[in-house]
Amino acid sequence: MQTGSRAGTNPLAMREYGIVFAFIGLCILVGALCQLKVVQGTWPQNAFLTVNNLLLILHQISVNGVLAVGMTFVIISGGIDLSVGSLLAFSGMMAASFATRSPGVTAWAGNYGAFIPIVVALAVGSASGALNGWIISRFKIQAFIATLGMLMAGRGFTMAVTNGNPISALGPEFRWFGTGKLFDAIPIPAVILGIVFLLAWIILNKTVFGRYVYAVGGNEKSARTSGINTKAILIWVYVLSGFLAGVAGVILTAKTGSAQTAAGTSYELDAIAAVVIGGASLSGGIGRLTGTFFGALIIGVMNNGLDILGVQSFYQLIIKGSLIVFAVILDPSRKLTA
Amino acid sequence: MKKLIASLMLSSLMVAGATTMANAAPVRIAFLMYGNKAEFVQLMERYAKEHPAVKQGLAEVTLFDGRYDAAVQNDQGQMAVNSKYDAIIINPMDFEANIDVVTVANEAGIPIVVTNARLNTQDMLSEVVSDDVEGGYLEAKAVLEKLGCKGNVVIIEGPKGGSGEIERGRGNERAISECPEGAVKVLERKTANWSRAEALDLMQNWLTAHPKEIDGVIGQNDEMALGAIEAIKSAGYDVKDFAIAGIDGVTDALRAVKAGEMTSILQDARGQAQGSIDVAMKAVVGDDYKPMSDIWEQYKGKMEWNDGKTKRYDVPWTIVTPENVDALLKDRGY
Repeated sequence: MQTGSRAGTNPLAMREYGIVFAFIGLCILVGALCQLKVVQGTWPQNAFLTVNNLLLILHQISVNGVLAVGMTFVIISGGIDLSVGSLLAFSGMMAASFATRSPGVTAWAGNYGAFIPIVVALAVGSASGALNGWIISRFKIQAFIATLGMLMAGRGFTMAVTNGNPISALGPEFRWFGTGKLFDAIPIPAVILGIVFLLAWIILNKTVFGRYVYAVGGNEKSARTSGINTKAILIWVYVLSGFLAGVAGVILTAKTGSAQTAAGTSYELDAIAAVVIGGASLSGGIGRLTGTFFGALIIGVMNNGLDILGVQSFYQLIIKGSLIVFAVILDPSRKLTA
Repeated sequence: MKKLIASLMLSSLMVAGATTMANAAPVRIAFLMYGNKAEFVQLMERYAKEHPAVKQGLAEVTLFDGRYDAAVQNDQGQMAVNSKYDAIIINPMDFEANIDVVTVANEAGIPIVVTNARLNTQDMLSEVVSDDVEGGYLEAKAVLEKLGCKGNVVIIEGPKGGSGEIERGRGNERAISECPEGAVKVLERKTANWSRAEALDLMQNWLTAHPKEIDGVIGQNDEMALGAIEAIKSAGYDVKDFAIAGIDGVTDALRAVKAGEMTSILQDARGQAQGSIDVAMKAVVGDDYKPMSDIWEQYKGKMEWNDGKTKRYDVPWTIVTPENVDALLKDRGY
């Protein structure tokens, strides 16, 4: 469709490479600052530029990366999903209640291995997402408002499940999804992120559904008149976002070993940041998953690099905030969308 | 419904002639909590409801969720005054901003007790708190003792500028300064906002920056210490090679103490919640009131009842060790 024909034009290609350049530039900058410490003799070796640290960054961005993949679909479709942080907490809490060795936290609590809790988390996330999508398309409510409602309600559900208590003592089968390593090296959360990204890329770029998502976001009216069932597309987009919030809930809960009622608070903003840094337009119709992936990586490298360099957290927030705005200002294709 | 049950219970007590209370209706206490999303807050709420006066229907405690917003708590304080509660207990969100609640309660002549966190005023009836400087001192001491006052430590801080971070940090520093000068080096200190997930990432990054150099972790609460433990495990180190401590005594930390992975300094949610209810009851009921919670028996010699007239009750900290951890876990139903 529209986007397919535009993909070859120069500005869009520029944008796609632009983010890669930005990422490489950031890595070189952080790596150089670390190298300085080695030269000065304060460090025995460059802690940043190692394979292990790269894997660590992938481990650390897994939750935000998975959320950002869902957010990319939502933003391309012209919407926004503010509820993913709360849905992460809700699905994580539900999963934990089926994976805990500590009885009594909920009426049904128990340890059922890994399969059942994961299915529960994905079902809870998808169902909540479906509710988001249904409300948005059925009542023509702005996505911002509908998902803002879910942001609050989802947090309430999370607390209602256990009366506000955390759920801990999770079984080892479930925890493997947060702490396990493939070939003794690659963290499982990074593997999950890779699979999610790959499947999502295929869906967005190689299927009719993906093209329809762009079409709905570009111009919903003309999409509808050209025969696309825009309501169904929108519902599925939010189901996908909720489903991925469930995946992220599983990863975070398994990683920390505890489902907390405050888990995922304001994670939706990091996910939106990754998508925006990746070049998507909040007005819909434009965005790429590869951009989102590098957007999440840039945030991850920044958090990791600034921790390693011992930069105080205040400056970390200032740098992160500036980066988001600069990424959009410097986006060479921005005029296209404005 | 609760009120109905409470009044039924009370009237049955009166029939039995077992009460000397002058009040016919239960004492209504508004308990303003800063939030309800953390395990510690949940524990305080639970122990408040388990206070003997509440169970026997002499007091009726209504809990309010301040939603981590000082302004919300101030509104709730005004609301409690308007609804003519007999006493107000506040677990404040903010050291300065919530002084307002004390002011409006005093204007209305309603006894006000501050618990758990402190307020920067002396105008309240009484405070039932644990000294955060002392807590920070005890946890750092636990880490430094295990290290023999020698080595590199990192400090994971609470939200910057909050009274918890400032006072516990002061305690951390006091303990470090008691070691010979230069023997203990603080490699890094940074906030993880009381969050396990944030502390996990932070500690992973520190382990990358300082491979094999970190000997001790001082977490200003348990959740962050637990995050550090997860990071140490994921980086392939042995947790037992580190000296780790946190504050609060949340259930997961008790389990980690049991597994020999850390030390936790228990902040007594029960002592704070039930102690403040006794102080409030005394102020409302008058001289006839005798404290009903058994915490006064438990802390005899360390924290005296003193007829409910002490300005500041310092609820003692308990160092959780493998010896006392089983009893604490049992008390929580594990």
